Amino acid sequence: MMLIHCPYCDEKRPEIEFAYAGEAHIVRPNAAEQQAMDDVEWSKFMFIRDNKRGEHCERWWHANGCNMYFNAVRNTVTDKFIKSYKIGQKRPSAAQIQKWKDQANG
Amino acid sequence: MSSDIVFDQAVEIPDILKSGDVVTTLVGERTRLSLRVKAADRIAVAKALGITLPAKIGKTNTKAGIMIACLGPDEWFIVGEKAKYSNLYNKALKLSSKYVMSVTDVSFRNVAVELTGPKVAEIVNVGCPLDLSLAAFPVGKCTRTVYEAAPIILHRLSEDSFAMECWRSYAPYMVGLMTAHVQGQRV
Repeated sequence: MMLIHCPYCDEKRPEIEFAYAGEAHIVRPNAAEQQAMDDVEWSKFMFIRDNKRGEHCERWWHANGCNMYFNAVRNTVTDKFIKSYKIGQKRPSAAQIQKWKDQANG
Repeated sequence: MSSDIVFDQAVEIPDILKSGDVVTTLVGERTRLSLRVKAADRIAVAKALGITLPAKIGKTNTKAGIMIACLGPDEWFIVGEKAKYSNLYNKALKLSSKYVMSVTDVSFRNVAVELTGPKVAEIVNVGCPLDLSLAAFPVGKCTRTVYEAAPIILHRLSEDSFAMECWRSYAPYMVGLMTAHVQGQRV
């Protein structure tokens, strides 16, 4: 079983306590912006995702734990978690992700 | 609070779990409150209620028969003897007009068992994948986790005893898993 680090509990916890919640950092348009959007644009916001191969920023929910959502960078090829971080923190740059990877590799 | 309602625990502990390496007992009626308070208001609300709300997730505070566990950054679980609560719930209700917070009486939602014995971690680990070594799960730690498919709240009472509570409808399932393990069945 995979262990996932929860930034709120600050612990590595078993994977079955968590639920995946899709790609991170997708900002929901506000009411005025939604009014101005046509169906094509709205469907892009709703359904179209990068489906990235490699390092992917995604949301996770610690459902059977502290009940918080957080973001994590995970490699979709190796399934390795590189780093998890709290909601509100900005999307990490490629350089930042590389730095985390270097730290993890000592 | 609903003091005249008889609480049906909905589960019985089979004899095989009552003796042996790990002794399982069904905990009688308890009062349970779910308290949600913004982290910024934690100290003010705790002071007004006359209790201590631990700041860190997993930490507990047990005083005068009331156990308070921090389950999330803005969530506390309060459990203890029924008689101790009459004021706490009403005080919290009144406070909720002043702060962004909520208090819910969830007494009848959960059923709790206490497990005691030298091999207690083994029984808990039948369904719970957490590391239960004393270093990773010290005495007093309390967290929400899972027991196979059932969400539980796990609290370490001492080196060799745990309290484990789950939703009432999951209780026969949880106790059934423990029984099957003790009987040597594969689960």
